[in-house]
Amino acid sequence: MSLLELHQAGKSFGSQQVLNNLEMAVPEGAIFGFVGENGAGKTTTMRLILGLEQLDHGTIQIAGRPVEYGGATTNQLTGYLPDVPAFYDYLTAAEYLRLCGQITGLPQGELDTRIKTMLTRVGLATGSRRIKGFSRGMRQRLGIAQALLNQPRLLICDEPTSALDPEGRNQFLELLASLRGQTTVLFSTHILADVERICDHVGILDQGRLQVCDTLTALKQQYAQPQLIWRFAQVDAANRFAQALAAQPNWGQVTTATQQVRLAYQGPAEPLIRRAWQLLLQMDLTPLAMEQVAPSLEQIFLKVVGQP
Amino acid sequence: MTWIMIKKEAREAWRSRRFLILLIVFLIFGLMNPLMAKLTPEIMKMSFGKQFSVPAPTSLDSWTQFYKNNSQIGIYLLAIIFGGTISGEVNRGTLVNLVTKGLPRRTVIVSKWLVITAEWLLVALVSFLVTWGYTAYYFPDQKSPHLWLAFLPLLLFGCSLTALIVLASTLARNSYEGLFMVIGYTIVLYLLSLFTDFKHYNPLSLINHNLTFLTKAGSLTPYWPALLVTGVLGALALLVANLKFARKQL
Repeated sequence: MSLLELHQAGKSFGSQQVLNNLEMAVPEGAIFGFVGENGAGKTTTMRLILGLEQLDHGTIQIAGRPVEYGGATTNQLTGYLPDVPAFYDYLTAAEYLRLCGQITGLPQGELDTRIKTMLTRVGLATGSRRIKGFSRGMRQRLGIAQALLNQPRLLICDEPTSALDPEGRNQFLELLASLRGQTTVLFSTHILADVERICDHVGILDQGRLQVCDTLTALKQQYAQPQLIWRFAQVDAANRFAQALAAQPNWGQVTTATQQVRLAYQGPAEPLIRRAWQLLLQMDLTPLAMEQVAPSLEQIFLKVVGQP
Repeated sequence: MTWIMIKKEAREAWRSRRFLILLIVFLIFGLMNPLMAKLTPEIMKMSFGKQFSVPAPTSLDSWTQFYKNNSQIGIYLLAIIFGGTISGEVNRGTLVNLVTKGLPRRTVIVSKWLVITAEWLLVALVSFLVTWGYTAYYFPDQKSPHLWLAFLPLLLFGCSLTALIVLASTLARNSYEGLFMVIGYTIVLYLLSLFTDFKHYNPLSLINHNLTFLTKAGSLTPYWPALLVTGVLGALALLVANLKFARKQL
């Protein structure tokens, strides 16, 4: 069953159409990677889901309840972590969380416990230091704490890892992964490695529509192929080898990029590798390196958005 | 929910030192009003010579200073300090987290108006009480019999103006726009005051005729339409602010 559903959702800013009859469904309990190029409309979609933007047409429902622009009913089910969260600098982290918790209607006793737990979980002290003195990383961690404080049914994260250092990013992804099965997560990012690491469902937004939307495993089966990559010292050598590979029947699709030759294949790799080495020996070519690449989300993404 | 946001606004007023600034300025007004009335004849004599004849100051001179300071500086100080109360939050994005947690937008408007109004009432009252105490000490005369009757219209005008400040800040993109809208509103009221037939309806009369209210019993009665118009304008400002803010992009 889907917790979040968008039907025929359309949104334009002036003459620029951002979303074009968007159809999207996020299953309950999923960690949904929402990817797309910069400007594809990911943030707009999230703001529409939160009722912060007005739909031109179509409907959005969370747990069967319609989202209304400027309304607050469905927001009681959601947690939101923007890319750059803004806080009241004159409050301490604990005071800010208390304000958020009171707004969501958490009982006083439970709120005290949750504030302590969340601050410990994101590595922020419960001291009297005000948010004004927080670094960007600390602000992002406080953002995570406020988004998770009310244990929302739907957590919406808009490029949350972009401002974090590698350690912070790692911790954040682990935190998100730990929510699997408890909270439905809509996770927008352009860091595809993050999506591959934690998401079980993926939607790729392009030209205002969700071009693909399925489990990551199903998408890999449908779109991605394993690849063999050879790197050469000279472009001429790479081109000669690419032509020779392309001439072989049923080996797969060959592409080149400067000194690199890529062969997208199906079936077992070993026989192909052996035959390719024989071809290299016959042509008296020596590659600098050879690499076997597993199917990746990047491949799927590039294929879907129509880039080579 | 409104009480939660009132506490948040009150904490902001205190920690940003906004309330402290207001309190100090209005306290200075309170102290200076009777002092200026007392010292003005001496200053005049020092400037123009001892032969310069100045009537002995009375409590009326002190209250003249009080109403002049409040109507000419006090209310504009409110507009300067609170002109960006909504637009500032919208520009900083601080309301996004709260609204996406289920905070009704009308609560933002109502709590801000309540706290700004409470700040205004408190500092105006402090200034009034200090002026009253020192005036009674320096000028123990009976020339200012209706202190509260003169003061209440000023308070009501301030409450209505704070609603207009909230509306201006909701419509404006920044604090300067908000300030100019409030100044524009008072300019319109000043222009309307040129029409004497309209004076009993003009909210500005509530801060321009306080000395009459102070000295003459029953002098406020003909101004009940102005009291009504001021209240209605304040309520309308809050209503429009709510409607506009409900559709405002955060």
